[in-house]
Amino acid sequence: MSRAASRFPWATWACNRLGVVALACSGLAAQAAEPPLLHTVQAPHYGDTLFHFYQDHHFTALTSLMVSQHFQRLSPHADEAEILRGGLLLTYGLHHEAGDIFARLITQGAAPAVRDRAWYFLAKIRYERGNLGEAADALSRIQGPLPGQLEEERLLLSGQVSLALGDPARAAVELRALLARPPSVIEPPKTAGVAAKRSIFSRIGSWLLDAVTFSFARDPEQRFSTAPAYARFNLGVALIRSGDVAGGKALLDEIGSASMPDDELRALRDQANVALGFTALSQDDPEGAALALERVRLKGAHSNKALLGFGWAAAAQKKPERALVPWSELLQREASDPAVLEARIAVPYALAEVGAVGQALSGYQAAISAYAQESTALDESIAAIRSGKLVAGLVERNPDESMGWFRALTALPEVPHTGHLVPVLAQHEFQEAFKNYRDLLFLSGNLGDWQEKLGVYGDMLATRRAGFTERLPQVRSKAAELRVDVLQGQRDKLAAELGAAQAAADGQAFAGAAEREQFARLADVNALIAAQADPARRDPSLGEADLAQLAERARRLQGALAWQLAEQLPERRWAAEKALADTDGGLAEARVRDARLAAAQKDEPARFERFATRLAELGQRIKALQPRVASLTVEQQKALQETAVASLQIQKERLAGYTAQAQYAVAQLYDRATQRKEGERAKP
Amino acid sequence: MPVLNSLRALGLAALMAASALGWAADAPAAAASAPAPVAGLDTRVQEVKADVVRLNRDLLVLEEELLFPASTQVALFVSMDVGKLFELDSVQIKLDDKVVTSYLYTPAEVAALHRGGVQRVHMGNLKSGEHEIVAFFTGKGPHDRDYKRGTKLKFEKGSEPRYIELRIKDSTGKLQPEFDVKVWQ
Repeated sequence: MSRAASRFPWATWACNRLGVVALACSGLAAQAAEPPLLHTVQAPHYGDTLFHFYQDHHFTALTSLMVSQHFQRLSPHADEAEILRGGLLLTYGLHHEAGDIFARLITQGAAPAVRDRAWYFLAKIRYERGNLGEAADALSRIQGPLPGQLEEERLLLSGQVSLALGDPARAAVELRALLARPPSVIEPPKTAGVAAKRSIFSRIGSWLLDAVTFSFARDPEQRFSTAPAYARFNLGVALIRSGDVAGGKALLDEIGSASMPDDELRALRDQANVALGFTALSQDDPEGAALALERVRLKGAHSNKALLGFGWAAAAQKKPERALVPWSELLQREASDPAVLEARIAVPYALAEVGAVGQALSGYQAAISAYAQESTALDESIAAIRSGKLVAGLVERNPDESMGWFRALTALPEVPHTGHLVPVLAQHEFQEAFKNYRDLLFLSGNLGDWQEKLGVYGDMLATRRAGFTERLPQVRSKAAELRVDVLQGQRDKLAAELGAAQAAADGQAFAGAAEREQFARLADVNALIAAQADPARRDPSLGEADLAQLAERARRLQGALAWQLAEQLPERRWAAEKALADTDGGLAEARVRDARLAAAQKDEPARFERFATRLAELGQRIKALQPRVASLTVEQQKALQETAVASLQIQKERLAGYTAQAQYAVAQLYDRATQRKEGERAKP
Repeated sequence: MPVLNSLRALGLAALMAASALGWAADAPAAAASAPAPVAGLDTRVQEVKADVVRLNRDLLVLEEELLFPASTQVALFVSMDVGKLFELDSVQIKLDDKVVTSYLYTPAEVAALHRGGVQRVHMGNLKSGEHEIVAFFTGKGPHDRDYKRGTKLKFEKGSEPRYIELRIKDSTGKLQPEFDVKVWQ
């Protein structure tokens, strides 16, 4: 399954509907093996939304989708578009709006596949909101198996809901159903090389966000579904919590001793072993604890906890010298780690146990000193956080132009003792608050950009309005000159003449200008011949024979001309009719333009006015939102800082506890030494 | 063994607590086992996000109606079907012999096209009547050779918006990429 699709199950479904399964969205080997299908986006604007969505431009995808819905240009992808919109709104935490969308899809009688998907997301939303009974009800309404990996997620959600409802036995049944499924193989995205490999921070962030949204996050290059492994782990934990310790331990042991294909699952294996080890320690089973803990990798997120626990297991087996090995290793590690802090007093404890009292005393004193230094460092970190350096530095070093999903916090800010920040940044609460803070910054920039644009649009509208007002008199004047009614009268007269000529089959009526001139000249010739009959006007050089010859020639020419016109009559009549039709077309167009002009004269000022009203109204909405966003940004920053500070305060309290323990141990060592000396003095 | 007991108690308390948190933090399924109540600030932030999203929709609708009225609107899209025979680098589009866009693609954009996305590469205005679109695609063709191909189409623009999709397809028969134009509506 592709990265986006794995994070966004609704997208997988949408992609499946689009038939791009094998290309991009496939998560199943069987589907991947199928020949690639031609993509069948039936509305280019829906494809445009997907184009942004696939690039993680979720805000653009969401808003462009909503615009296309407004213009009703997404059919026949209306249902897919709604699922996508609901999912995108969920990623912004807009559960209410998303819930409305999914509920509407159900009540409007969407296709069964859409309804099942909507019920699943409704169940997820209700679960996140703590409405467990309603979540269980929504899950029970899903009729068929969901497509691909979403079915795994449905089973997982069912297990979670049952656990939260206090029914671990039912959860066990549901999670076992998940375990019984064959493992899914995730097709790496075609563009795996394009996607940057995510840091552990981003992965932690994604996992945490998954908990409040509805999906597993997976490494884009990962090939195996992690769901069964997590289900097994969760089931083990659930069984231990419900009292079936043996059953739970057996499941955790399966994970703890399994060979895992990638780092994420190896980390899960470590976690299972740590859980097993500490469960065994709490049951006074140090041997079992040691067996589990020694399976944890020496370098990894859980290695410090494992080293500490391994030392305790050795100490509980009365092997303090063996406990010194992992604890001494811990002292070389990051000083602010809780396990390392605890090791500082565990090492002198073990030294005292092996009889090295002097070294133990030094160790305790060194620990007290280190705790004091660490406490001071924590104070400095708290001061830096409260001054705003942490939040400003995080934003500066982790720029992001979009909003919505967790982005990798790949660079730590320049504040003293950055080691303190690692556990703080990994906290779910902090990640959520930081996401909100960054979203608010994005919204602030978005509103500012629109405010500028609206100013430009206002100027543009004013220019258009001025141009319209300026040109209106000229256009009116030209329209008045046009006089369509006069032209229509001329056309009607011509049409009548044409009709008469056609009725009389009068070829001469269709004569051209040259032919008319020829007829005129022939008429002159005939008049001249006729004039020869008058002796006063007769030309003496012309004899009777000449006159007869001239008359005959004129008659023949006239006949030839008439014959020619009669021959061409159909063609000329057709040309005349066509010309008349063209005239009709031209006149009709002139009338339409005339009407449009009249309408524009009336409507355009009103249209300008409507745009101006909308611009003003939207400008007001921007102005009303800006102070809200600004105020919430300040509030969110404070909340973010206080979340971080609270975390560091807990570390300080833990340090105070360790310090008290170390001081107590020092006092005990002195007491023992004093008692020993007094005992020696008392000896005779 | 008071020290051991107290240290064990302290250590186990701290680490078991951390471990329990770790279970919740690292395992997505376990993470939400106790959904947190919604804080007031969080609710207000979500409300403002919803308001800004709605405002953006209304602004974009206004922008489109103002700049690209339906009667003159023309939108050009680029899509890719399969696309194994062609690695897209850039596209240049002319409308009535005038260049309206020259677009250079990023790998992420090409990937989005491969996955079924359709890019709206240009939006503009055209008068009613006949127009001609000419598109040139450049990239790598079969055998990693530089490839440049053009396609053109005459189309009629009426009083409705016109959507034109430039499609890059694989011709498995010819083992060559194909480029064509689809006019929607």
